[in-house]
Amino acid sequence: MVAGYVVTVWIVVTVVFGLPRALPGDPITASIQDASAVSPELRTMMERRYGLDRPLIEQYGSYLAGLARGDLGESISLRTPVATALKAHLPWTLLLVGTSLALSSLASFIAGVNAAWRRGSFDDRFSVVTMTGLHAIPDYALSIILVIGLAVTVPLFPLGGGAEPFTDDAPLVSRAVDLGYHLVLPAAALSLSLMATKFLILRSAMVSVLGSEYMVAARAKGLSERRLKYRHAGRNALGPFLNLVGIQAGAAVGAAIFIEAVFDYPGMTSLLLPAIGQLDFPLIDGCFLVLALLVLTANLVVDLVQSRIDPRTAG
Amino acid sequence: MRPVSQSAPAGRAGPGFPKVGWIGLSLLGTFVLLGAAGPVLARFPPRALSGGSVEPPSFEHLVGTNQLGQDLASQLLFGARSSLLVASITAVGTLLLGALVGVPAGWLGGKTDFVLMRAVDVVLAVPRLPLLIILGAYLGRDLVTIALVMSVVFWPPTARILRTEVRSLRQRLHLKAAQSFGGGAGHALRRHVLPELRLVIVATLVIAASRVVLFEAGLAFLGLGDPSRTSWGSTMRDAQMSRGLFYTRIWTWWMLPPAVAVTLVLLGFTFVGMALEDGVNPRLARHRPRRSPARLAVSTTAAQ
Repeated sequence: MVAGYVVTVWIVVTVVFGLPRALPGDPITASIQDASAVSPELRTMMERRYGLDRPLIEQYGSYLAGLARGDLGESISLRTPVATALKAHLPWTLLLVGTSLALSSLASFIAGVNAAWRRGSFDDRFSVVTMTGLHAIPDYALSIILVIGLAVTVPLFPLGGGAEPFTDDAPLVSRAVDLGYHLVLPAAALSLSLMATKFLILRSAMVSVLGSEYMVAARAKGLSERRLKYRHAGRNALGPFLNLVGIQAGAAVGAAIFIEAVFDYPGMTSLLLPAIGQLDFPLIDGCFLVLALLVLTANLVVDLVQSRIDPRTAG
Repeated sequence: MRPVSQSAPAGRAGPGFPKVGWIGLSLLGTFVLLGAAGPVLARFPPRALSGGSVEPPSFEHLVGTNQLGQDLASQLLFGARSSLLVASITAVGTLLLGALVGVPAGWLGGKTDFVLMRAVDVVLAVPRLPLLIILGAYLGRDLVTIALVMSVVFWPPTARILRTEVRSLRQRLHLKAAQSFGGGAGHALRRHVLPELRLVIVATLVIAASRVVLFEAGLAFLGLGDPSRTSWGSTMRDAQMSRGLFYTRIWTWWMLPPAVAVTLVLLGFTFVGMALEDGVNPRLARHRPRRSPARLAVSTTAAQ
C-alpha cells in the first residue's frame, strides 16, 4: 500500500520534471513572450542560471534533491521562492477543503443512514431525488446560485474573499469570526457538491446491510433503535463510505478550484490562475505538485485507516 | 459494485428503454439540434457588437446583451457547439485510449494485466482538474488540444470497465469453442467480443461525455478555455468578471442561462446513463426487479 503510494508520487514528480523538457521548444522560449528578442548570449546565460545546459540526468538529480529540501524553484512572476508563495495560499485551500470534507461526511452519513432506515418514505424519496439533481449541478453553477441566493437577494454573507482586509491587528476572536463568516458560502457550496455522491453510496450500502441476518438478531436482542441504526447498521456501511471519502479528496480539490474562483477566495486558485496567465511555469508546477501530493496523501491515510477498521481490506 | 437488494421508490420495471432515458435523450437532442443549427439560428455573430450595453431580453436580443453589447442568445448557441464538439472528440479519444489499455489487459491477463492496471491506478490517483490545468498550460488551449488533453486524463475508468468485460467474456464457452476451432485473438475480438461490448461502450461514452461537458465549461470559466471560441464557461466568466454584476438584475440573463444550460445537459447525460444501466448489467437488474434512482446515480458516479 505504502509502496504503491511511493511509486505514484515518484511518477508524478518525474512527469512534472519531464513535461517542460519533453515538449517541442524549450522552457526559456515558453516563458518569454517574445522569444526572438533573446540574444544568444542572454539565452546561454539563462540556460546556465536554470541549469538547462547540464546533462538531463544531472538536472533530474538536482531537481529531486531540491524537492527533498522543499525547494520548488523560484517563481518568475512573483520573484519569490515557489515554496513561500505556496505557504501563503495553501492554508486557505486546506481550510476550505478540510471543513467541507468533514461537514459533508457528517451530514451525508446521518442523512444516508436515516434515508435508508426509512426507505420508501417521502423523506427518503425526496432526499434521493434532491441529491441526484444536486449531483448534476456543476460546482461553479452551485456556487453562483448560493451567491445569488444568500449574498445578493438576501445579503446574509459576503460576496467573496477570505477575510475582511486590513484586520491583521484585530483581536484574534473577531478575526476568527470574520474567517468563519467568509467561509460559510464557499464551504456550503463544496459540502453540497461533495455530499450528493456520499449520500447515495451510503444509502445503498446501508440498505444492503439492513437486509442482513445479524440485523434481525440484533433487533431480537432488544437493542434500542438508535443503537441498531448507528452501531450495527451504520458501522457496517462505513467501509464503502470511507473508501469514497478518500476517492473524493481528488474531486474535492478540483471542486475547490472552481469554488475559489467564484468566491475570489485567497486559496490555491488565486495563485494558480495568474501563474498560468503569466506562463510562470515553476509556480504552475509547484501548485500542481502540492495539490497532487495532498490528494495522494489523503488517499493513503484513508487506506491506512480503513485497513485498521476492517482488516480484510489490508494488503 | 455489490448487488444490493432493496425496495425502491416507485419506478418502472420491465424491458425496453425506460422513460427517464427518453427524457434524457430529448434534452440532449434539443441541445445537439440547437448547436448544429447554431449558425443559422443565431441572429448575430457571438462576438459582434450588435446592441447596447447590458440590454435586458427583448425581441431583438432574446437573452439580452452583455456589457460589450454582444448578443447572449448567439453566445449560448455557439457555446452549445463548443461543448458538444469537445464532448464528441473526447468521447472517441477516451474510448480509443481505454480500449488500447483495457482490452489487452483483460484478454491477455497475467503480467500485462498487472502492469497496465497499475498505470490506470496511477492516473486515477492524480486529481483530474489540476492535471488538466497543468497539461493545458504546457500543451496549449485550442479546442482540439483541450479535447486531446481531456482524453489523456479521462481514459482510465473506460479502460477499467472494458478490461473487466473482456476478462469475463473470455471465459465464456462460445469463445473457448471459437478458439479451439483455430480462431485467432483478432477473430475472437472482432466477431465475438466487440458485438457484446456495444452497450458497455455506449454507457461509458455517456459518462465520459458528461464529465467533458462539465470540465469544458469549467475550464473556460477559469479562463483556461480556447480563447478564440465562445463557450458557456466563457460567457459565465465574462459575467463573473464584470463589476457590479450582482447589484442589478443583469445576472438573470447573463449569468443564469449558461449555468442552467450546463446543468440541463448534465441532467440529460445522467438520465440516459440511468436508462442504460440495466441494459449494461442485466444481472443486477434481475437481482433488483425495481429501479431505484439512488442505485443508478451511484453506479454512474462510481464508474467515474
